[in-house]
Amino acid sequence: MIQHNPFSPAMIDAVRQTLENMVFMEIIEQRGTPSEIPAEELAWSSLLIKAPVQGELRLAVPTELLKKITGNVFGIDEEEVTTTQAYDILNELLNTIGGLFMTKLLSQEQEYKIGLPNLEAGELPPTDENTVVWHLINSDEEPLKMYAAGESLVALSKNSDQ
Amino acid sequence: MKRIIIADDSATARMFIKRCLQIIGFGDADIIEAEDGKQALEAAKEEATDLLLTDLNMPVMDGETLVKWVKASPKLCEMPVIVITSAGNPAKEAQLLELGAHRVINKPVSPPVMMDALADFLD
Repeated sequence: MIQHNPFSPAMIDAVRQTLENMVFMEIIEQRGTPSEIPAEELAWSSLLIKAPVQGELRLAVPTELLKKITGNVFGIDEEEVTTTQAYDILNELLNTIGGLFMTKLLSQEQEYKIGLPNLEAGELPPTDENTVVWHLINSDEEPLKMYAAGESLVALSKNSDQ
Repeated sequence: MKRIIIADDSATARMFIKRCLQIIGFGDADIIEAEDGKQALEAAKEEATDLLLTDLNMPVMDGETLVKWVKASPKLCEMPVIVITSAGNPAKEAQLLELGAHRVINKPVSPPVMMDALADFLD
């Protein structure tokens, strides 16, 4: 039995802390019908959770928002943002969120292992009963989405968030 | 001038760390960027270095292996190593400190945290 803290608050805190510290962006959970990100405007990255549970985290943002974030971080115009810079930001954001999430989720004594962030292409995988989605927005109401997927990872949400 | 090596496979992370160093007064330091532990180790062997800041999860050679190599080297073992990681927890931190890392700090790194971590090494 893995000792852990509530699942959703751990994720929300991790995303909030990461975005505020790294890109000075405040986010809140979106209420009501969630905004969708059209496939042609989607940028997303994935990160494997390897131990003590197995699963995958995904961070999805509109490409325009990613450009804006990247421009702010590097101090350049959005038009000057390269694909490499933008994708590196996305991966590093997810990497930091993933580590913070696991730290906040698990008890202090519990070791964990995560993989390296991986930029993905195409549509996001379909969600199922073993997927948790957080629909988030920034102060300009631009959407960001976090996903946690995988039976043993998501099982931790089912005995803590209900 | 201080010589500081930053090892992280993410250019973004290296940039954030550099920015923190500039904010806390190390803007004139000679900062060497390495994309993995192997590059960092080679850079450290080239010239005396005042501090190594390293990520944990990196391709080619990870931060933990880098710490082991640094501490096993008579030439490098006195160099302070600070691990900056998104995969840290108290158990991992204890393990890294036992290996010889001087401090372990968690991402996202901020100037006050960096200042606190560096205070002992870079007066």
